[in-house]
Amino acid sequence: MNAPALAAPAPQDLAVAPDLPDIFPAAKPRGRVWGFVRRHPAIAVGGALVLLMLLMALLAPYLWTVDPTTLATHRRTREPSAAYWFGTDMLGRDIYSRVLFGARVSLIVGFSVALLASLAGLVIGIVSGFIRWADAVIMRIMDGLMSIPPILLAVALMALTRGSVGNVILAITIAEVPRVARLVRGVVLSLREQPYVDAAVAAGTRTPMIMLRHILPNTLAPLTVQATYICASAMIIEAILSFIGAGVPPTVPSWGNIMAEGRALWQVKPYIVFIPAVFLSVTVLAVNLLGDGLRDALDPRMAKEV
Amino acid sequence: MLGYIVRRILATIPVMGVVALFVFSLLYIAPGDPAAVIAGDQATPADVERIRQSLGLDRPFLVRFGEWFFRILQGDMGTSIFTNLPVWTMIRQRIEPTLSLMIVTLILAIVVAVPMGVVAAWKAGSWIDRLIMAFAVFGFSVPVFVVAYILAYVFALELEWLPVQGYTPLSEGLWPWLENLILPAIALGCVYIALIARITRATMLEVLSQDYIKTARAKGMGQSGILFIHALKNAAVPIVTVIGIGIAFLIGGAIVTESVFVIPGLGRLTIDAILRRDYPVIQGVVLLFSFVYVFVNLAVDVLYTLIDPRIRY
Repeated sequence: MNAPALAAPAPQDLAVAPDLPDIFPAAKPRGRVWGFVRRHPAIAVGGALVLLMLLMALLAPYLWTVDPTTLATHRRTREPSAAYWFGTDMLGRDIYSRVLFGARVSLIVGFSVALLASLAGLVIGIVSGFIRWADAVIMRIMDGLMSIPPILLAVALMALTRGSVGNVILAITIAEVPRVARLVRGVVLSLREQPYVDAAVAAGTRTPMIMLRHILPNTLAPLTVQATYICASAMIIEAILSFIGAGVPPTVPSWGNIMAEGRALWQVKPYIVFIPAVFLSVTVLAVNLLGDGLRDALDPRMAKEV
Repeated sequence: MLGYIVRRILATIPVMGVVALFVFSLLYIAPGDPAAVIAGDQATPADVERIRQSLGLDRPFLVRFGEWFFRILQGDMGTSIFTNLPVWTMIRQRIEPTLSLMIVTLILAIVVAVPMGVVAAWKAGSWIDRLIMAFAVFGFSVPVFVVAYILAYVFALELEWLPVQGYTPLSEGLWPWLENLILPAIALGCVYIALIARITRATMLEVLSQDYIKTARAKGMGQSGILFIHALKNAAVPIVTVIGIGIAFLIGGAIVTESVFVIPGLGRLTIDAILRRDYPVIQGVVLLFSFVYVFVNLAVDVLYTLIDPRIRY
């Protein structure tokens, strides 16, 4: 077992071990992309699907679509065919074009709400976690807002304003901010107890600098994960708002609106409801997969929680 | 413990205060004249003036809030602008279908989700665990009205096993009542089941790695005894907490589910109120649902300080 024994010439009646490279062929250098896919399948699949939806939304005008708002009463409620891939709706509009352009609304709402709610929640959470007197007031307000179910809160806010994409984004953002603020505050409170924060305080670092240098970077991982979930939830809430008539105006093609328009006829023409439903579900699934993957990749400890 | 319960109950007062203030100020954070907003686009100046007076808009905000809040405490939620009926009367007429739907969904979700989570944790890493967790991801991702339409299409239109839509009051018999609620309850329960199954699996995994589970196994206790007597009992607190928090999903989802299955409940009332900008009704519904949500979670918190001897404050 020691070096001299190995170095000794092998006796002739003993089988000689084959060269190592034969037993362990050199690992084929896998592409970096494939290696990433193997390690993080959820991120890869979710990310690819989200990217696909993004491309579809961006390139909608070039993907054999027609104007999604063109009315044509002579070709109402056509079944899907070679001319109208997903059929036409009650007003003769091409559903394929409406679904592709509808992706824009869902994605814009999802991404904007995720970004705005994260930013607002981050600021509120850090302030609340660091400034004692503000904490009590801010958290009571957040608790109050959190005790209104998010869909109901967004619905109530939408009842105030005219339906527009901007107002939908604002309403859903307000409904989502309290959860982000709570998450960030929790992270900040645990970070405050860390020795390196004590060290920074002892060294005379000012509070804003501590927030920026020592606290903020450590909140980014959980915040990113939370932002993906908010994106998914925002897309669902947008579709629900549009579906019940409190979302984006009916003139804008959005998946919720297409489903709302198909509702009256769904027992005879189910495809009007089901086609946007599939697109919505796949997109939300993709974003959720991305979120699960990011959660496992960014913080293995979080993987144990819900 | 009594001190904790009292403090927990007192802590809900500021929360409900914030909710009330928010609900009341809904009208005033909108740009423009609230009376004109309520009256809508086709209103005459006389209509606007009438609404302005009925709202008492000439007096200070806090005074109006105080009066409004005091009336709410007395059970007076105001009068609908559209039907001129008291809001509370309208809510009472619509509450049975919504309450039925939510209770059936709650029972269904717990009965399905908890065993799912337990099995997933018990067989962690196996195909059945993967299947259950994949279902959980789907449950979170497929919006409630999509599930509702799929169920209605398959089980009501194609197979004709259950009614497509509508609601029958409980007073007309148990089966007619339940028959109309099965599909809506499954649709509404999907997200909820996914949520409960995930938390059950996570807490069960943690509990199953404890020493007392090894002891139970060592003394020759059966698998189901370990899972349901030792493990589930100790995993109960996080599970019950999530069931309480998940009520928010039920409330939001009920509005949409009622719309798909044409159930004349509070969801329908809310949607009608929004389309007509009937503010007192919107305020009443939001307030009621928030109160239910806060109260359920308060009850959950108080309940497990009573049943779990490990919790001492």
